[in-house]
Amino acid sequence: MLRAMIRRTLLSVLILFLVAIFVFLATEVLPGDALDVYLSEDDVAVMTEEDIEEMRHDLGLDIPAPIRFFTWLSGAVVGDFGVTIVDQIPIGNIIFHPLLNSLQLGAIITLITMPVAFAIGATAGYWRGQRTDAVVSTTTIIGYSIPDFVIGTVLIIIFAVWIPLFPAVITAYNKAHPMELLAVSLLPAITVIIGHVAHLSRLLRAGFIETMNSDFVERARLSGVPERRIVWRHVLPASVIPTLNAMALYMAGVLSGLIVVEKVFGYPGLGIELIEAVDTREVHVVQAIAFLGAVLVVVMNLLADFAIIALDPRVRSHVSER
Amino acid sequence: MPLLEVKDLRIAYQNPSTGEQMLAVDGVSFKVEPGETLGIVGESGCGKSTLARALMAYCRPGGVIVGGEVLFDGNNILEFTDEQIRELRGRRMAMVPQDPLTSLTYHMKVGPQIDEILKIHQQLGAHAARLSTLKLFEGTNLPTPEKSYGRYPHENSGGQRQRVVIAGALACQPDLLILDEPTTALDTTTEMQVLKLVKELRDRMGTALIYITHDLTLTDYICENVLVMREGKVVERGKATEIFSAPQTDYGKMLVAAIPRVDAAFPEPAPAIDKQEASTATPLLNVENLSYRYAQRWSIDALFNPQQEELAVDNVSFELRRGETLGLVGESGSGKSTIANIVVGLMAPTSGEVAFDGASINMIDKFRSAELRRRIQIIFQDPLSSLNPRRRIESILTRPLKIFFGMSGAAARDRAVELLEDMELSADLLKRFPRQLSGGQQQRVAIARAFTAKPDLILCDEVTSALDVSVQAHVLELLKGIQNKTGAASLFISHDLGVVKQVADDTVVLQKGHIVDAGTTRSVFGDPTHTYTKLLLAAASRREDYADLSTAAPTTAGALRGR
Repeated sequence: MLRAMIRRTLLSVLILFLVAIFVFLATEVLPGDALDVYLSEDDVAVMTEEDIEEMRHDLGLDIPAPIRFFTWLSGAVVGDFGVTIVDQIPIGNIIFHPLLNSLQLGAIITLITMPVAFAIGATAGYWRGQRTDAVVSTTTIIGYSIPDFVIGTVLIIIFAVWIPLFPAVITAYNKAHPMELLAVSLLPAITVIIGHVAHLSRLLRAGFIETMNSDFVERARLSGVPERRIVWRHVLPASVIPTLNAMALYMAGVLSGLIVVEKVFGYPGLGIELIEAVDTREVHVVQAIAFLGAVLVVVMNLLADFAIIALDPRVRSHVSER
Repeated sequence: MPLLEVKDLRIAYQNPSTGEQMLAVDGVSFKVEPGETLGIVGESGCGKSTLARALMAYCRPGGVIVGGEVLFDGNNILEFTDEQIRELRGRRMAMVPQDPLTSLTYHMKVGPQIDEILKIHQQLGAHAARLSTLKLFEGTNLPTPEKSYGRYPHENSGGQRQRVVIAGALACQPDLLILDEPTTALDTTTEMQVLKLVKELRDRMGTALIYITHDLTLTDYICENVLVMREGKVVERGKATEIFSAPQTDYGKMLVAAIPRVDAAFPEPAPAIDKQEASTATPLLNVENLSYRYAQRWSIDALFNPQQEELAVDNVSFELRRGETLGLVGESGSGKSTIANIVVGLMAPTSGEVAFDGASINMIDKFRSAELRRRIQIIFQDPLSSLNPRRRIESILTRPLKIFFGMSGAAARDRAVELLEDMELSADLLKRFPRQLSGGQQQRVAIARAFTAKPDLILCDEVTSALDVSVQAHVLELLKGIQNKTGAASLFISHDLGVVKQVADDTVVLQKGHIVDAGTTRSVFGDPTHTYTKLLLAAASRREDYADLSTAAPTTAGALRGR
């Protein structure tokens, strides 16, 4: 079991390395370098060739790309992503607090989504084809069909404008206290949760129904095992396993969802920072955030793999045999 | 008062799209006395498994009990509340399901799954339940109860899993035990051990048994009374020995006649194609000192601790003459499919020599010429997974004609129809997809496809194992027919000795990769030299002397028990 986990971890590190190369190539090397991206046409019009070359030298862009890549990567591993082009501020400082804020929001979303989706999916699956199931199926389709920004806006209109419980726009700063953010993150969280719960509960319902029809549930029933115990002990673990990977990807997708939601609510997270960085053409910041996003996806998948290895003994013996 | 009485029971399945109801069990009535053993026999789809579940007031999703009564101890359990019926299940009536692997919860260790039943029905504590479970495991002859207790289902062998499930069913010493095809997934000798176990337990505990099976010979071995079911109805009933020796209805006669029996008389030898000449000419397939070892899986441990896998095939030699049929017999793990894979070129031998028509074919198929590939064809056990589900039968049959002979259009179509006719299938099937055919029809199409290539050698890998007995008899006959017509030789692989006896001229018996017995089918079956062959024959004919044989050959039986 331990060996299987180590194997998966090493594989994840390899994937991250490849992702790093890709991010670096996409943002810095192709089609031009960071400076080409940073300078607007107006800048180019007033600057001389020498000015540009000098700037390029100052930024270290005249160093060959492979060397720059490894310098960047060795920094990125310890959280040093270089400095911004305009103000020469360390990028680590800029994104540190937004990152924490986004992680906090993401964690809240995940912690609420998982159990709620479990409960809804299992309920609908257990009373499959009955009224509860019909209601759940219809609402979940609606739930995940509506885009996040629509849900967000509607929530703002209801809970900030009509019933002024929450602020319509969050005015907290990057370095706001976590508890202060917690109070205002309810609306953005709910916005994302609605879509996620809808999708995940459908996945779980399908897994649950499949498991309920399995031979081992039949054997347990014919042995007189009470329904409650069948559901908790036999069915739930088995119906979670096939949905775990999808769930991990989905939760990693929280990040992309956050960009929209943070913009709608003005939540001081990575999403806002990303949009700002794109606006001001801060290539290195975009690079850093893209890389962190990839790390998140890979880590979530790794966690899902660990959970599967822990839950499914068949996978466990299969992977440790190899 | 009978222990169980079923009155005019009717069970229907609802077609989810049309809402129509189809009767799966149609007016069945019977009684079971305490301690009696009743066999329910029928082919797939006759409603026997549906009936078995309904005896415990259970239906699979989509099924409804639409009429009749199930009286257990005089009470109609169909009217019981959920709680009442739950009390009964597992305690007074229990079921042994068909497939023990899927019937055990895969993410739980097997021991706790039996503990669970004891805790629920006998209110035992964790420790007491564990002890009882271990005792049950011992009682069902699990070789290492302690070890098995802590294993997950997939870590036990097929026979062990079935013993675990039986232990679970017997946990509360039920009055009625329902066994739904409990040995179908097992090897013949393992099957025999499980059957013997069930018999012993029945005699010791006085449990009434209902034994559901498609195999009439089994009911003859284990049951007093038998019901024969067909299309949801009971078509024949009576004493097991009587039905087996003198069936009354046409269907019963057909069922009994279709069983390939090892104790049946030898079939008339086919009109010999001048045996003299055949024996002097080079054999079509000549296998000499063939060995095969599966490559070890790559792992860090293996680098430091190199140990070789056991040989899957160990020094096997045999020859097959033109137009003849050689039977390869053995249980799972005996290496018979490995040999087939080597001959057909899916794997290359570790050592030894395989010669086809005098020339070496020691290479995998991508190094073989198209002509060689044409001349050796294979038919698999499961036709549905070997026929492309997205192609119509016409395309399935005409494609090899185009590849091997460049035939296309009307010519290819006519040839396809001709082949279908050889298989007694109508040309209408050309437009269908494999899924739309019955299992027997699918296998006949698979045979027709193999013969499109006009092969000289055909490998039949358990080709009838997935079919009902009556269908099996027909398919074997057709296969024999087309083989005689085309003069193709056949390497016929099967675990079923009765089938091999029917079709093979020569037989080779394999055990764990070794040849233990070989010769003409007549001599191997008539006068077996090796104890393992005797054991197989005894198991296949459900003879009581199986027990003496298995003790007389302790090494072999011990090895088998480990499976």
